[in-house]
Amino acid sequence: MIREKAMIHKITRRSLVKGGTMLAGAAAGLGTIYGPWKHNRAYAQEGKPIKIGLTCDASGMYGASGRSELRGITMCIDEFNANGGVLGRKIEWITADTETNPATASRVAERFINREDCSILIGAIHSGVANAITQVAEKYGTIYLNTNSSSPTESGENCSRIKFVWDGNGTNFTMSSVTAAVERVGKKWLLLTNDYVWGHETSDATRKLVEAAGGEIIDELLVPQNTRDFTSYLLKIQQLQPEVVAPAVGGDDGKILRAQVAELGLDQQAAWVQSQQDWPDVWAAPESIVGIFGTNWYHKLKLPGVDDFVKRWQARADEGAIPVPGNVAYCGYMGMRETLRAIERAGTTNNIAIIKELEQLKIPAVDRMQDYDAWMNPDTHHLQQTIYLARRNPNPVDDTDLYEIISASKPENVIDPQEGQMCKLAPYDQFPTVDG
Amino acid sequence: MFTLIPFLINGLTLGLLFALIALGFMLIVGVMEQINLAHGSLFALGAYVAYAMLGPPLPFTGEVGAWWAALPLWLRYAVALIIAPCIVGLLGILIEQGMRRTYGKDPLFGLLLTFGAALVIEDLIRSIWGTRDYILPTPDAISGGFIALNLIWSSYRFFAAAAAAVFILLTWLLIERTRFGAVIKAGAHDSEMVRALGYDLAKLRIAVFAIGTMLAAAAGMIMAPIWGIRPHMGVDAVIPAFLIIVLGGVGSFWGAVIAGLLVGMVIGLTAAYASEWSLLSMYILLIVVVTFRSRGLFGKKSILEA
Repeated sequence: MIREKAMIHKITRRSLVKGGTMLAGAAAGLGTIYGPWKHNRAYAQEGKPIKIGLTCDASGMYGASGRSELRGITMCIDEFNANGGVLGRKIEWITADTETNPATASRVAERFINREDCSILIGAIHSGVANAITQVAEKYGTIYLNTNSSSPTESGENCSRIKFVWDGNGTNFTMSSVTAAVERVGKKWLLLTNDYVWGHETSDATRKLVEAAGGEIIDELLVPQNTRDFTSYLLKIQQLQPEVVAPAVGGDDGKILRAQVAELGLDQQAAWVQSQQDWPDVWAAPESIVGIFGTNWYHKLKLPGVDDFVKRWQARADEGAIPVPGNVAYCGYMGMRETLRAIERAGTTNNIAIIKELEQLKIPAVDRMQDYDAWMNPDTHHLQQTIYLARRNPNPVDDTDLYEIISASKPENVIDPQEGQMCKLAPYDQFPTVDG
Repeated sequence: MFTLIPFLINGLTLGLLFALIALGFMLIVGVMEQINLAHGSLFALGAYVAYAMLGPPLPFTGEVGAWWAALPLWLRYAVALIIAPCIVGLLGILIEQGMRRTYGKDPLFGLLLTFGAALVIEDLIRSIWGTRDYILPTPDAISGGFIALNLIWSSYRFFAAAAAAVFILLTWLLIERTRFGAVIKAGAHDSEMVRALGYDLAKLRIAVFAIGTMLAAAAGMIMAPIWGIRPHMGVDAVIPAFLIIVLGGVGSFWGAVIAGLLVGMVIGLTAAYASEWSLLSMYILLIVVVTFRSRGLFGKKSILEA
């Protein structure tokens, strides 16, 4: 009791201030030695699985594509796990339906990072969804692989140090087709534009290329998302009589549009030049494949590895899956594969180390199952790759042989000129570090 | 030359289809004072059941399957247009049985129950047919296009509009020109009196719910070749249906029909002149009408005001 009292007397206001000052000084000294903190998140433990969040849409206008993308990504993860994983660690994955909805995608991304400890996120078709995930991933320094969203904004003004874009963008696809179409098909063009960022960006790219090639845009019709009846638009197209129609209408909307165009035989009245056509969108309705369109892969390309890839896909496909891999599944598979390989090469799961590996990525054509070598643009984080032009196959060898590939453009010939100007990647040290 | 007539014709056909989608919804809301949030899912199920009957592979094999497959497509299509709504109607009866306990209680219970039913039906569709899209085969006679006014028109669109008009007419005859219709309308106004007169109100409610469900399924089958078949297609139907009912006036048969036509015309015309506003236009129309007439165009006192 007496001792306690003595102690109390010893702790004076002066000693408190002195002690506090010393503690602050010690903390500052430690800070000088160890700070700023290098690791904001460190999930890594010996032998602990690496966890990846698959932010794929399972419903909404890109639900069908999202399911295909998911299958491509999980196929890749299964193959790595069968070979012992990465750095001797198994890969675990989790997925949740992002519903083709940016708000839902944000919530899913937050949950995957904060509650599920995912150190990498992968997957998106809709550019709004991809952008929403990017913003969440940026906060935490989590690497995000945008596998299938093709808006030029994704690797342009919305690019990010933590994001890598694996599909060709609207401008790449458009460049492969528009100039030739102006010269060979006609100069009177009409744009049919999905009224959101991907549609606008793609149509803007088309407009510039058409006008540069001496063509004229006679009208642009804006199509709201979730339009189910295109008859009014088609009536207007019939009355305006363009020589070429360039639709930038994606997902379910694009599917229904093409079915209605084919039903009316409007593809006979004007040439239809689409920037891109995703495989899951045409699977149920091959008769709806109208005009010419861009793609970055086809399961019947006569290239090494393609047949084997298709066989591996078919060996694991369940009853509900599309029986052959399409471009969406291909992008999911390739984005995942190259990132896991980058982890292996870096010898660490540290996010900055992986980002630096991916920025140097070069993929030989034979390894990528495309005609030309691909490379990652370190200034935009957008994979530069072969762009194919295709149309409906008049002589299919089987039920899945829907496309006829009519040309293959080298990556350097279809580089998006705006991308590099719009994209400003923030320095590495502005992002939290993550060890997965 | 840019002419208005094709757009008016297109708006009219689209309006008839919207009216058909809304009709079953209207019947259940108007007569039973229950908002059936499963209407969209039942609409989708109608399309899927029709696909099961018409698209490959057929649900039955052996001799029956071979016999059915050998029938001409137009005959199978006509049979499916009757049978598919009947099959979905049975599910409607099940839902009504579940709703029974909610009668006379807070309307929220009925809303929650039908919302739950919608989720169950959508998951049921996914588990049976997967997430893949399907196209409903249509007979050659009503497929493809034809030329009129120097333009190509969709044959199926006109068939669908005509079929919608027939279903609307049949429903009107049932409600307005039969003893059954008189009793269910009386039941909606004064259920005690109807019961006192010796009518079994429970059976009447089953019948109304079944008819409403069958109309949803028929609309689903008719719209399937236009919208495509996929699990969430019901959402595309239930939102305009709800909007049309409020616009036309809850419980008003002709209100639903005229509101459907109006919505179709507005969407069709805005798509022609201000395309980016085409889907938004129906919401603007609703806001304008409800601002000046809160009960909708032909509404009496609605359950929303109760």
